[in-house]
Amino acid sequence: MPLEDYRDIMERCIRCSLCKWIPQIQIKSQRFATICPSIEEFNFHNYSGGGRMITGLALLVKKIPFNEKLLEVVYTCTECGGCDVSCKNLNDLEPLEVIQELREELVKKGYGPLPKQQKYAENALKVHNPYGDPHEERFNWLPDKVKLTPGAEIGYFIGCTSSYRRQELARATVKVFNQIGVEFTILSPDEFCCGSPLYRVGEVEKAKELMRENIERIKKAGIKILITSCAGCYAMFKAEYPKVMGEDLPFKVLHTSELIENLLNEGKIQFTKKVPMTVTYHDPCHLGRGSEPYPKWEGKIVEVVPLIKIPMPPKPKRQGTFGIYVAPRNVLKKIPGIKLIEMERNCEYAYCCGAGGGVKAQFPEFALNTSKRRIEEAIATEASTLISCCPFCKTNLQEGIDALKSDMKFYDLIELVERAL
Amino acid sequence: MELDQDIYNDLANIVGEKNISKDPVITVNYAYSFGSEILCERFGIEKSNFAYAPLAVILPGSTAEIQKVVKLIHERGLKFKAQSTGLGPWNNVSSEDVIILDLKRMDKIRKIDAKNLYCVVEPYVTGATLQAELLKLDLNTHMPGAGPQVSPLASSTSMFGPGFTSDVTGYSARNVLGVEWVLPDGDLIKLGALGLENKPDWFCGDGPGFSLRGVMRGASGAKSGLGVFTACALKIFPYPCDPKWNISGVSPNYEFEIPNYMEFHIIDYRDFDTLEHALYRFTEEEIGFMVNYSSGMAIAAIFSRDRADLIRKATKYLVLRKPICLLICARSKREFKYKQKIVAHIVEETNGKDMTAKGRIVPRSQCYVEALRSMLGIHAFLASGAFTSAFGGMDSIGVTITMAKLNIPIKMEYIKKKQLADDGGEGIWLQSYEFGHYAHAEMPSMYDKLNPESKQGMREYVMRTNQLIFNKALNIPFSVDGDMMHDIWGPQTCNYHVWLRKIKEAFDPNNTSDSGFYISPSAALKKKKKRN
Repeated sequence: MPLEDYRDIMERCIRCSLCKWIPQIQIKSQRFATICPSIEEFNFHNYSGGGRMITGLALLVKKIPFNEKLLEVVYTCTECGGCDVSCKNLNDLEPLEVIQELREELVKKGYGPLPKQQKYAENALKVHNPYGDPHEERFNWLPDKVKLTPGAEIGYFIGCTSSYRRQELARATVKVFNQIGVEFTILSPDEFCCGSPLYRVGEVEKAKELMRENIERIKKAGIKILITSCAGCYAMFKAEYPKVMGEDLPFKVLHTSELIENLLNEGKIQFTKKVPMTVTYHDPCHLGRGSEPYPKWEGKIVEVVPLIKIPMPPKPKRQGTFGIYVAPRNVLKKIPGIKLIEMERNCEYAYCCGAGGGVKAQFPEFALNTSKRRIEEAIATEASTLISCCPFCKTNLQEGIDALKSDMKFYDLIELVERAL
Repeated sequence: MELDQDIYNDLANIVGEKNISKDPVITVNYAYSFGSEILCERFGIEKSNFAYAPLAVILPGSTAEIQKVVKLIHERGLKFKAQSTGLGPWNNVSSEDVIILDLKRMDKIRKIDAKNLYCVVEPYVTGATLQAELLKLDLNTHMPGAGPQVSPLASSTSMFGPGFTSDVTGYSARNVLGVEWVLPDGDLIKLGALGLENKPDWFCGDGPGFSLRGVMRGASGAKSGLGVFTACALKIFPYPCDPKWNISGVSPNYEFEIPNYMEFHIIDYRDFDTLEHALYRFTEEEIGFMVNYSSGMAIAAIFSRDRADLIRKATKYLVLRKPICLLICARSKREFKYKQKIVAHIVEETNGKDMTAKGRIVPRSQCYVEALRSMLGIHAFLASGAFTSAFGGMDSIGVTITMAKLNIPIKMEYIKKKQLADDGGEGIWLQSYEFGHYAHAEMPSMYDKLNPESKQGMREYVMRTNQLIFNKALNIPFSVDGDMMHDIWGPQTCNYHVWLRKIKEAFDPNNTSDSGFYISPSAALKKKKKRN
């Protein structure tokens, strides 16, 4: 949808600043009350969800130029969607969609994305991963002993970060699958980047190429259920692919935490080993609020009584309500010896790790500062270990732990599952 | 107009390069507010969503930095305007030569004195964050009707400050104690007990010697027309009920575990006479944590989750004629039973219909938590996306009821023309104060910001009701700010504008602190008139 189509929404922002905070009624302390890493880092109103809607409006009515500052304002957002949840708790504006649209507008006009983001995007197109590593090395991590089942209905989509940077997660995942008897296949050598590094910085048309490739290859492999262990890939397949491609995917998408939870609930697996640990859980933005599919709606805005307009039929709001929050927690709770303590900001109003939306590539200091803030919140729970479900979160949060010289440990959920089986 | 690079550099040396910007991408953002178009009209510039942009935006991080920044701006003949959380058009600058001081980095709760019931906050501490910290000590704060995301300091030092819990938590003007205040020339002044030579502290807002509290803020605050308030002490209050705060569910479907001894009552009255009597009685008995009269539509809005929910609920609520929204809270079963009995007694005495007791209205659990966190006011934007409060003011309950009565026929004209949303003409927020016979009233009216006819209707309605209260000598409009409004209303009200101008001249003869929403010194006013 072009920026112009969001004009009404942008003009209706009342600059209330609710987008800067977790939902007001959930605020439990001053220290952990904010939701937007960007406004917390840069402070000018522009760097909030509402501020970016005003920026979009200013651009649309030609009050501001395309310049470096505009690029900085638009791209110093992790697209975590926290502002969206807080705004829509009461309102019906679309700050996150406007931010995405602003990026697409900058790309269309030839200004975006920023150089380092551009490099990642080019890599994703050329060698099918944003890191620029050789495509033929994508499956180098795969242990020899792993049992794959070509033609299986379940396919494991590894993702670029687990393939090249967090291979321990990929290894743990396939080991767990083998151990619990999940027959699965992989897309070797045909797995491409999910498109997230392109899509999130506004390169939608180029992301579409990767999306199309992946869908075709998954279909060709006969996969009916696609499992991802990466929150970023999950959100892309679950929410953005259907939105961008304009059609439902011909396969079901599950995150590893959902698969494990299902198997536990069905009694097909059980944990046998004790993992004595006090943990806290970080909700990846893209597994939580960002994985909620865009609701399908066809209708129109009707003025039901003078000056009061509502969508008819009712239009469901995409506001993080249906993200994946319960599955990872249920898995954790079933591991013997695990004690889970929640951080103040959790589930749909969890604070971002700081890496997403092209921020880590272009603004590493900002990404690290955000990570440190999240680690401080984890430390405040007095848990010894931080758990999450995303290799990209793991990378950034581990850097935060290191920077703070904290003795907090970090594991992906699948690594704990591996230990508990 | 562009900020001179040398001045920019000097300012950057004070706050650091990353805390200042004169880039239009940044500054234009500060030209926007939900009332920008009205501001454009007032300033005589082309109507748009963006009024004047500031010359630059600065993010000072301490009182010392603010002093240096203000001094420099004063010396260089420019102007400044400070803002905290920034909701509302009065945060905009009123000319092109103004630098905004965005106080976002000044966000510390400096002190909570639980024993003496006061706290000390900086400008960017919000009501919700302050309340969250106080809740840990079983204490509470007053929050203005604008909501929990706004600044209690701004409300207390520079704005009006009525709130939904004003019976118990007072009014911002009365809650402010010691104040740290950077004057328009950069000097620092400390008000109240903070100014004592021996053992200065924040516990008192008046003295030593004569009090400057009235000078500092008067009835409705100087809206940053008289310097920058960098910290202030506020009265705090015992928490009204069990301080447990358990919320389950996922947004927006939150369920609040309603604390013991907390109960909403929506009590409907057939006419203004019985309503007035009931309001007096409820406040006399000192039982309500929240006591206000609003339209049925307004009550539907504060009890609704979103616009669609409001539409679903509207039919049920629109049958209410003159409803009082009463929330009782207690710390013990005995106290609670007592309050329930009093409610029942007054309902009978005043011929009210308790719609909640009869089970006809059942507020969601989220309404309770939103009441505790003062989230109800922001619901006023739900129906049409925009609202403006027309006239109102603080007076006896009787006078505020008279205002409500007079408002209805005028407002109905605009409702019939479909320029204002239909609230039966009774859109009013009449909120009693401190269990007295005193109340704050304002007439929130819903319009469509994107509909030119609706906007025009809203403007006409506000002008007509302003004229009405002028003719009837019924207090002053809800928002009197800027030279034009003060010069109209001053002669009507004991020539207060003459004195207000003298205050401005004494504290800010050079008009360094943007007076667009306050009052200008005579010299500046003459210059402005000559220019126009």
